[in-house]
Amino acid sequence: MSSRPIFRARGLTKIYGSGTAEVRALAGVDLDLFAGELIVLLGPSGSGKTTLLNQLGGLDVPTDGELWYRDLDLTGADEAQLTRYRRDTVGFIFQFYNLIPSLTARENVALITEIARDPMPPEQALEMVGLAPRLDHFPAQLSGGEQQRVAIARAIAKRPEVLLCDEPTGALDVKTGIVVLEAVERVNRDLGALTILITHNAVMAGMADRVIHFSDGKVHHIHCNERRAAVSTLNW
Amino acid sequence: MLPHLDRKLLRDLRRMKGQAVAVSLVMACGLAMLIMSRSLIHSLENTREEYYRAHRFADIFATLKRAPMSLTERIREIPGIAAVEPGVAVQVTLDIPGLDEPATGLVRSMPDFREPELNRLFLRAGEWLKPGRRGEALVGEAFAEANKLRPGDTVTMVMNGRLQKLRLAGIVLSPEYIFESRPGSALPDNRTYGIFWMPYEELANAFDLDGAFNSVVLSLAPGASERSIIADLDRLLLTYGGRGAHGRADHPSHIRVSDEIRVLTILSFGFPLVFLSVAAFMTNAVLSRLLALQRDQIAILKAFGFDNRQISLHYLKFAFAFVIGGTVFGALGGVVLGSRLVGMYHLFFRFPELHFRLDHSALGTALLVAAAAATLGVLSAVRRAAKLPPAEAMRPEPPANYRPAIIERTGIAHLFSNTFRIAVRNLERKPMQVFFTVAGLALATGILIIPNCFRDSVGQILEFQWDTVQRQDVSIGLVEPGSEATKHPLRQLPGVMSIEPFRYAAVRIHFGERRRQLAIRGVDPGGRHERVIDADYRIVEVPPEGLVVSSKLAEVLGAKLGDAVTVEFLEGRRRKVEVRLTGFSEDFAGLVAHMDRRALNRLLGEGDIITGASFRVDGARWQDFLRELKEQPRVSWVVVKESLRANFRATTAASIGLIQSIYLTFATIVAFGVVYNNARISLAERGRELATLRVVGFSQREVGAVLVTELIILALIAVPIGLAFGTALASGILQAVNTETVRLPTLFTLRNYTFAVLVVATASVLSALVVLRMLKNLDLVSALKAPE
Repeated sequence: MSSRPIFRARGLTKIYGSGTAEVRALAGVDLDLFAGELIVLLGPSGSGKTTLLNQLGGLDVPTDGELWYRDLDLTGADEAQLTRYRRDTVGFIFQFYNLIPSLTARENVALITEIARDPMPPEQALEMVGLAPRLDHFPAQLSGGEQQRVAIARAIAKRPEVLLCDEPTGALDVKTGIVVLEAVERVNRDLGALTILITHNAVMAGMADRVIHFSDGKVHHIHCNERRAAVSTLNW
Repeated sequence: MLPHLDRKLLRDLRRMKGQAVAVSLVMACGLAMLIMSRSLIHSLENTREEYYRAHRFADIFATLKRAPMSLTERIREIPGIAAVEPGVAVQVTLDIPGLDEPATGLVRSMPDFREPELNRLFLRAGEWLKPGRRGEALVGEAFAEANKLRPGDTVTMVMNGRLQKLRLAGIVLSPEYIFESRPGSALPDNRTYGIFWMPYEELANAFDLDGAFNSVVLSLAPGASERSIIADLDRLLLTYGGRGAHGRADHPSHIRVSDEIRVLTILSFGFPLVFLSVAAFMTNAVLSRLLALQRDQIAILKAFGFDNRQISLHYLKFAFAFVIGGTVFGALGGVVLGSRLVGMYHLFFRFPELHFRLDHSALGTALLVAAAAATLGVLSAVRRAAKLPPAEAMRPEPPANYRPAIIERTGIAHLFSNTFRIAVRNLERKPMQVFFTVAGLALATGILIIPNCFRDSVGQILEFQWDTVQRQDVSIGLVEPGSEATKHPLRQLPGVMSIEPFRYAAVRIHFGERRRQLAIRGVDPGGRHERVIDADYRIVEVPPEGLVVSSKLAEVLGAKLGDAVTVEFLEGRRRKVEVRLTGFSEDFAGLVAHMDRRALNRLLGEGDIITGASFRVDGARWQDFLRELKEQPRVSWVVVKESLRANFRATTAASIGLIQSIYLTFATIVAFGVVYNNARISLAERGRELATLRVVGFSQREVGAVLVTELIILALIAVPIGLAFGTALASGILQAVNTETVRLPTLFTLRNYTFAVLVVATASVLSALVVLRMLKNLDLVSALKAPE
């Protein structure tokens, strides 16, 4: 593991609302994340996992604390800097796929590669997730697992340094979930992207380098796996 | 290759094509009016300008009793004059084959051996007059066309009491008669009134005007003062019976074309403004809805690094797509309407060539104005999209905040059905959408009021003029003023039930600094043909002394009842006398003044003179009457009331019909488009809610009722507003169109209002039906599965 982390968070705090309606989604998180790691974020609903992911991805700015991506201060970045950061560095995968329904699989990926700095061809990205035969299908013509794999292809096509996955298998059955996770795992290995995976499912912890347990907006504890388990060997 | 974001744009547009078309069409209505009116102004102005220049239209016009040709030289010496063209102009009656009644003509002279310096003719068909050949004339196109006359045909004219057959050598146009009509008549009357040209010598001979002229036109040198030249000319012509010179601004044909241009100018601003406002509202509604539906897509785009500018531009492009659609439809519509109207202008205006000329700058203006309107319309929605923090956008839109509607909180909630409650609450939650839909429907209702108001008020004028004021069947003018005894032979014409003589005198009436030129009509007391009527439709008896003027004339002069005005006679001994205003009459056209005929004659110092007479004729002997009238040598003009009416129906009524159909089309498009758009948005926004209602056991009809109830409420709000708006709009337009020559009364009938309401209701119902059909295709399962 290289000495210099990609992300460095200190006292990271995010508060929604104010007064009686105040919700402390992140209550002082300290964290270092390194290149090429596969991190699994575990924790109950409302523990702050998604909020952390949003801060890391530049979708949202913290209320307090420090958050650095390399030399970029994500707490002080303006809208333009955050946009550039997301465009060049981050790939997102969401629970509900969030594909553009009016574009085909290939076009959904191409939409992003058009604005990326050094993308791979959309076909290659779809190949990596095993969707080469379904390039020209619209989202409505694809199964849930296929849609999620298009979303992964879309996220990785820009060769992101960071891949953020928010419950990517949450809406899928076990069998399809495995296929998707295998794709995520392969991307992490092949592209060396720091991959952060949110899940409710403790079984998935086995595939991670490190497992971060979250509760009440804080890191409860961190567990390091000596060896990552292959997705297919996980015991569902 | 097309960027993928634009592919999304195209596919999204395809999915919402119904709404896109609806918005574009509403926009197109405004743009069509803009392009049409700007292009027509462009066509009319340029065509008229070119025509005037090429055919040397004069600047100043004067008529007089008689002056020797040598006076021309003295006129020429007035500083600032470029050219002078003297001539002879006389009134004649005509016997036209196929026309029962005698027609009236104005015959003008042409120089014998040269081209006229001013007001040159354009030869449409046939040939020019040959020097030295006699018994030939040229005829104006409008009259020739109305009476199907062709070169080589002959007409019979009563020239100074002698019947003469004339061969029509050619059919011509004159810049002086672009609008060819009887002097003082606001309506064209081409079947019974025509303009002719004959060689000077032959015409002057026939009217004992050898070596003399009774009409003269001038053109001005650059920079010359029209006012001072008119004054100089009036002074010169004073002793020769000059009737007061005037410039182009008082030239009847010129005024008519200018009036049309003025009306078009009003249209070119007013219409696009209202239509584009509604289109902007609709664009806003459509885009707001689209943004709400695509919240998660916007979030994804942002998450993957699309910046605000790219996202704003993407959604602005939707609006621009509507604009491009609107401009294309609008340009097509504008060209089609413009061409139709140019065809209609042919009924009124005669140019050598009048083509519809597309004003290209109007296309650009249309595009810009529509783009500006659409941008304004969507700006708030797009800004909202750009502002959306990406993480926020990933969360579902918070559930809409409903509460009991105001009307329910009044404590009568128990009276309402659930359907009604859902509808009312939903409307109250979306005040802007309600406002825009109501505005659109009100606009549709309002614009329908305009053409019908126009029709009703023109009808009112004519009914007033032809049924209330004029009880005679025919009026005639005499070649020369005669004594009252002149009427006796006329009394002997077959079928005459009553005859009433009158006397017209050309005057200038002064009051303080103001003055107006017109004719006083001297009538006999107790006359029942051309009656003097006041605003309350009561007969005004003309007193033995004093002047009865129309209220408009009094207003123009600023004079009150009892004031003494100065009457300057423009004929006879040209006396100037003080006359008291003793009454007001009502009229809707021109400026009129009435006096007791004998009092008028006394003021003129001319004894018991008449210049014409009106008749009531027994219908059974009508044909005999007309046949003999044609042979009367002393008659210079004839007006038959019924043929004016028939002519009106063929021209003005037809053109009002055309305009009415245009407004009808526009109103239907707007009503249909607005209702469709509203219902589609409701359906999209609440597909899930409506599907839920279906799942829990509501029938399709009951669910449809929710949507329809909303529409009915909107229509009930919109229609009264629309009627009020249309009333105000029509009043405004009539005010703007009204001049001293024509004053349209603002008249609103129940029939007008009913028609507007029916059209809007029908369009709305049809539109609602189209959307209700979509309810049938509501996919219950997937509507419930879609993540909220």
